[in-house]
Formats: sequence, C-alpha cells, structure tokens
Amino acid sequence: MAAVPENRVLAYSVCKWSSYSSTYLPENILVDKPNDQSSRWSSESNYPPQYLILKLERPAIAQSITFGKYEKTHVCNLKKFKVFGGMSEENMTEILSSGLKNDYNKETFTLKHKIDEQMFPCRFIKIVPLMSWGPSFNFSIWYVELHGISEPDVVQPCLNWYSKYREQEAIRLCLKHFRQHNYTEAFESLQKKTRIALEHPMLTDLHDKLVLKGDFDACEELIDKAVNEGLFNQYISHQEYKPRWCQIIPKTTKGDGEENRPGMRGGHQMVIDVQTETVYLFGGWDGTQDLADFWAYSVQDNQWLCISRDTEKENGPSARSCHKMCIDSQRRQIYTLGRYLDSSVRNSKSLKSDFYRYDIDTNIWTLLSEDTSSDGGPKLVFDHQMCMDSEKHIIYTFGGRILTCNGNLEDSRTNEPQFSGLYAYHCISNTWKLLRDDSCNAGPEDVQSRIGHCMLFHNKNRCLYVFGGQRSKTYLNDFFSYDVDHDHVEIISDGTKKDSGMVPMTGFTQRATIDPELNEIHVLSGLSKDKDKREENVRNSFWIYDIARNSWSCVYKNDQSIKENPSKNLQEEEPCPRFAHQLVYDEMHKVHYLFGGNPGKSCSPKMRLDDFWSLKLCRPTKEYLLRHCKYLIRKYRFEEKAQSEPLNALKYLQNDLSSTVDHSDPEETKEFQLLASALFKSSSDFIPLGFSDVDQVYAQRTQLFDTLVNFFPDSMTPPKGNLVDLITL
Amino acid sequence: MIVYEHLDSLETMPLPDFKNKCVSLIFCKFCENILCTRGMKAVLLADNEVELYSTDIPPNSTIDFVSSCYCTESCRCKLKDIACLKCGNIVGYHVVVPCKPCLMSCNNGHFWMFHTRAVFAINRLDSSGLKLLLWRDLPEIEETGNEELGWLSEEECIR
Repeated sequence: MAAVPENRVLAYSVCKWSSYSSTYLPENILVDKPNDQSSRWSSESNYPPQYLILKLERPAIAQSITFGKYEKTHVCNLKKFKVFGGMSEENMTEILSSGLKNDYNKETFTLKHKIDEQMFPCRFIKIVPLMSWGPSFNFSIWYVELHGISEPDVVQPCLNWYSKYREQEAIRLCLKHFRQHNYTEAFESLQKKTRIALEHPMLTDLHDKLVLKGDFDACEELIDKAVNEGLFNQYISHQEYKPRWCQIIPKTTKGDGEENRPGMRGGHQMVIDVQTETVYLFGGWDGTQDLADFWAYSVQDNQWLCISRDTEKENGPSARSCHKMCIDSQRRQIYTLGRYLDSSVRNSKSLKSDFYRYDIDTNIWTLLSEDTSSDGGPKLVFDHQMCMDSEKHIIYTFGGRILTCNGNLEDSRTNEPQFSGLYAYHCISNTWKLLRDDSCNAGPEDVQSRIGHCMLFHNKNRCLYVFGGQRSKTYLNDFFSYDVDHDHVEIISDGTKKDSGMVPMTGFTQRATIDPELNEIHVLSGLSKDKDKREENVRNSFWIYDIARNSWSCVYKNDQSIKENPSKNLQEEEPCPRFAHQLVYDEMHKVHYLFGGNPGKSCSPKMRLDDFWSLKLCRPTKEYLLRHCKYLIRKYRFEEKAQSEPLNALKYLQNDLSSTVDHSDPEETKEFQLLASALFKSSSDFIPLGFSDVDQVYAQRTQLFDTLVNFFPDSMTPPKGNLVDLITL
Repeated sequence: MIVYEHLDSLETMPLPDFKNKCVSLIFCKFCENILCTRGMKAVLLADNEVELYSTDIPPNSTIDFVSSCYCTESCRCKLKDIACLKCGNIVGYHVVVPCKPCLMSCNNGHFWMFHTRAVFAINRLDSSGLKLLLWRDLPEIEETGNEELGWLSEEECIR
C-alpha cells in the first residue's frame, strides 16, 4: 500500500465575496502580515450573509484550515464562523463550525474531509463569518492557509468515489420514488442492475409488512423489537427537553392544630440533600415580618416536617430573610450567612454578620462566628451567593450588598452601595480568605461584585460559574468562571452586547442550578424587575447552558400561552413568574423544586406565595415512543377499517386503539375523540399520484411508513429527501 | 486622563477658553470613516505633551467599546477603549469614571477622546461657509436620548 502523502499547503484564489470595506480587500487574506492592521479582508457590514469563497487551484482533500491574525487582539476577529466545502459553489457541505480566540496566535482547525471513512474532494471553500468579537463590528479575516492533499494519485480515486457516492445517493432517491409510486418493475430492475440498497433489511421488512401486506400486528412486533434493541435511542437523544411542572400537594396529618407546611414567604432559603431526597427550607419574609421557622420536606413521604418553629430558641439563627444557605451533603451540615435588615433597625450592634452551621443528624445549631467581618470574612450582606465544595470542605461566597448604618457620614461614599467580594471559608480551620475584592473588571483576573446573581459550583471541573445580577441601576450580562484550585478567572462572555434572544435576558429574576454530570446549567427566568416590562406577556422561560459546547438553548418560553388559551388558568399548570423564590435541583433524580416567592403584584404588595412545585425536564422515553408508534399504526388500521367495515372499526377504536391512548393527556384524548369522525367520512380527499396506479391505501400506508422510519437511525433509513421535491415551478 | 483645552491661546489669554476653539470633523485614519462632528483639539491634563481630540456627545453610531476598564499610570481615571465600528481599530477611549484630581482641574468637560495617531481632523465651517465654526456657536448638547437605563427599583431589596 502506498504511503499516505504529506499534508501540504493548498494554493487558492479568492473567487467571490459578499462585500469588503475601505482597502480591506478579499485577496489580503492570501498574505500573512500580522503587524499590518490593513492586511486583512473586512466586510462592509455584519449583516448576514457575509462570506468569502476560495477556489482551490485543483481539487484536493482539504484537511485543515489555519487562520492568521493581527499582532494584537482585534474586535473584528471571528468569534463564530462556519466553513463549507464542495466541488461546486452551488453544492457545498458544512465542514467546520468553530470560532477564533481574540488573540494574536494562529489557529488551525481540522476540516471534515471524510464521509463514512472515505475522503472527499473539494474545489471550493466558503468561509462564513457569523459573529465578531465585538458584536457591532464588521468581520475581518487576516490570513487563511489551507492544508491538505492535492496529489492526483490520491485525489483522483476520491473524485471517483465522490462521483460514485453521488450516483449511489441519486439511485437511492430513484428507488425510493419508484417504490412510493409502485413502479415495481422499474424498482426491481434498477436494484438488480445496481445492487444498491435503499435501506436496512429490517426496514424493507417493515415496508413489506406494512405497505404491501397490511399485516399490522407484525408491524407492531417489529417496532417493539426495534425499540428494545435501542434503535430509537438516536432519535430520543435528538429531541429537545420539555419541561414538566407539577404542583406538589404535600400530605397533611391532623396534628397539633398548627400548620404542617411552611407558610407564604419570599426571600427564604432552600437546600436539598439528594441522598435522602430531603428539601430544607429556612426563614424568609412573609410580607410583614422575618421568619425563623425551619422545615424539611421528604420527597419520598411527600410530607413537610417542621424541624423548628423558631430556630433562635434553639441557639440557632434569628428570624431573617435574603440570607443564603448551602449544604455539605457529605457531612450532612447546613450553613447560613447574611440577611437583610430594614434601615430602621440598622445599628452597629445589629449589623453583625453572624454565621451558623446546622448539623442534620444531631439537630444542633452552632454559631461559627458572631461577625464574619471580624474574622477576615464578609461584612453583613444580603442577596449574595454561597456554594459548597464538599470535597475540599470549603465554602465560597460572592457578592451581595453590604449593609451599612444610615447617616454615617464618616465615609463620603456611604450613599453609594458597596458590594462584597469573593471569599473562601475553610470549614476545618474556621478561617476566611478574600479571593477577589469588588472591582470594575479592571483587569482580566478581576471580578465585579453584584446582587441577585447566580453562582454555581461544578464539583467535577471545580469551577464556580457566575452570571447575571445587578449593580445599582445596571443589570449585568457577563458570564465568567472561577477555577477554585488555580485561582483563575475565565470570561465566558463579557456581555457588552447581548446576542438578543440567544441568551437569557437579564433584568428578569433568574434562578439557576447545575448538573455536573450532564455538564449543564439550568436557568429559570421569570418576572422582570423593570416595572414597565412587568405587565408584558413575558412569562417564565427556561434555559439550558451546555458547558462543554458553550452554548445556550431556550427550552421554552411561554409568553403567548394566556392569549392562546384564555380558558385555561395558567397558574394551575406552572408557577406564575415571581421574585424572591427558591429553586433547588436534585441532580441525582433530575428534579427541580421551587417554593414560594413574591409575585410582584403592585395592588397587593404584601402578598407572598406558598406554592410548591417540581419540575422535570423530559425527553420522550422508549416506552412513550413505542406506545406512540403503536398508536400511529392502530390509528391508521382503524381508518382503513372505517372505509370497509365501520362496525368492526368502531369496536377496534373502542378497544385496541383506545388502549394506546394516554387518556390523562388532554391533547391525546381530544385527538382520540375526533377519530370517530372517520367512520362517517368518504374517501374523497385523495389526490392521485400522477401516472402511477397507486391507490389511496398504498399511498397512505407509504405515508405511515415514512413517519415510522423517522424514528430509526439515519444509517438504516432510505434517503430523507424526495425526488419530486427537486422540481421547482 | 481628561483633556485640557489646547494651548494655542494660552499665551494671550489668562484663562483657558475652549469656547473659542474650532469645531472639527474627526475621521478614522485607517478606514476614513467619519467618527464625530463635534471634535476639539486638546491636550491631556496629566501630560500636556500628548495631543488628542475630544468630544462631548457619545459618538454611539460610529464607535463602540472594546475590552474592559483600565487605568493608566498618569492618573486614576477609569478608561475604556473605543474602536471604529467600520474597521474595528482602536481610535481612542472613554473616561468612564474620572478621578478627583482630573475633575478638580480645569478641563473641557469632554469624556470621549480620540488619539491623534488614529484619527485626522478637518475644521468645520460655520453656516456662512466662510469662517471656521467655533465651539461657542455650536448648538447646545442635544439630549443623549435613547440610552436606556435600567430601572432602579425603589426598594433596596425585593423579598
């Protein structure tokens, strides 16, 4: 076997471009002059589509692309781009989707150059900038180098393969078309001549049973087998999460007459012990006063237990709100720090930052410090964040507004709010360490303090993730991580301009949780703090941040639901948007729990909530898909029956078909109820398929076949497209 | 890093008087994009060897911020670089938070600066088209308008 030829620089010219500005001509990308700011292509606008099309000197296997840059950082560098390749300008495949760092280092990316382990050639390479480092700036590319193989000995066979591959796919499209239209002879002779398989034999079998024979029971068996063999897993993994809210109605026991569930409140704290599936809730503000009651909710028993009506009486913390709590699941201990105090009760005595630990097993509170600021820790703060690193036994706390005495004029900046920095508390030695003071993000390692933000600890990559929040009048959009072991800040997004609609909006109260195993951050955002925006339709939205891929996706937004469904009371289906609520996450069982909060009703400012919800993010299960497929098959079988033997069809509807419907699901039930109308319908809405002799039964069975095939992996299925769709009018 | 008015007139006048200075159009030296129509030639308070152009109204439609805040050795003003929207090159900086010494000194009240190495200027003419337009004849600063400031809740704490 011949040695694999070296990967060499591929010669190219720039043959097409979307635009350019000033002297920043497209051909500038051919020369690498990092010290010349003008040696680049720069687009005239950042309005899509912007692109450059490069033409290779001769067809080649394009294996990698290298981008040269300017000697300094530059806002026009491409934060996101795509690269397409193909033998013609009209027919290109995506071969890279990535982004450049905003620095002076050259970057090289591997280009996709194989399909099914087979290298394919390109003649044209299209570079499409999608986002620059400064979102309002134009796109610039300083230098592009392509590497690959252009030796004819290697490329020629690839060209042959490529043309054969295209021919094969064209034939498969023909086969699909012929079969759909029942041109049996043409189908058979083409298959005989070319020996090209249209699909996996299992699907041919399905087609045979379903479309040709109408043996529906055998089809169900086949689908059953496919599901059990895991053939639908690929389909499932591509489905989006759907949020499933469920209001928790805890069990009540007739007891001492006192309430046996926590009352209405906002500004409380919750933590969850995932091992025992217990949610702990402490304190809060009921609209008129601070609370000191302490509760545990057992998920398994669906019951609240009041640990204490007043923790202060048990040497624990006094009544409070806007404090923070974290749990050490390993040692089964809960910590609480900070609180809000009304300006009327602030004095040098009350403004002490006490710090407590609760031991779950012994039911004992311990005062760790009367005032953490005298131990080198944070001053009295509220609306801060606190995270536990169980492994190293360290607590991190960041941000929060520092409470100060009123009318203290010693410091001229008293009126300006002050924010607390990032601290680490070493539990064993009971010592605090200031890691970052509040700064205006002056340097790359600096962080800006804030209130009402989110901070989460990722116990696998050992980073804190911080985003959102507010600093006086400003809502913060930035997103950074802090590597606790290496004391290093990494800006994930500077948030100077938001990619509108692509990231959760700030200024809306958000609650976040982390799932280290799935490497995801979950954000629930609801009410806007902006009074003008509050009355708008924006309701809850749920976002997932994929840490590895650095991408946000919105799982759902229900801004229109009220309009669409005026009869439905939204509050029964999911929690109303709110402030000052609490959300905790059980990463083991993948369930969120939400309790209470402030609905922000200007007409009743003292109103607080005591509703309790669970939230699961669901993808369709195997069992659901199996049932759904059976439903589709039986629904069709019923419709076919309805035409010929309506009485039998009715029986079938009531028994076999009915058993595949989830009657607790209103939508499924409604659809099911409408099915009976097929009994009274004549088959008049069938459009004959041109020249073929396909009858309605064949056409509709084919349609069902195509639907079922969608659940199978791509490698097994016939081509997705249809030949007739190539015809334009 | 706030600017002081230019020294042209200092010999003849006891006090700096920026009202008598010419209004300039400021262009990006790299891509010749017009950046601002209200430029003033000036020198740095902290170092009057350094010549700059400054302006009073944020030139939002032609520049944007790049990178984050920083301070220089000269003073404690907090600065942020600004770049030309067309070519992305840094053309100056904005004084985000001026420091006390700079504020107390005689300054022209401008917080948007353009580096002479990154821009060039052309003096504007007045409506007659014969005389140079001076700052005292320039209309008062228009409202900054659409800058949307976050609404501050009256309460310190929402609970």
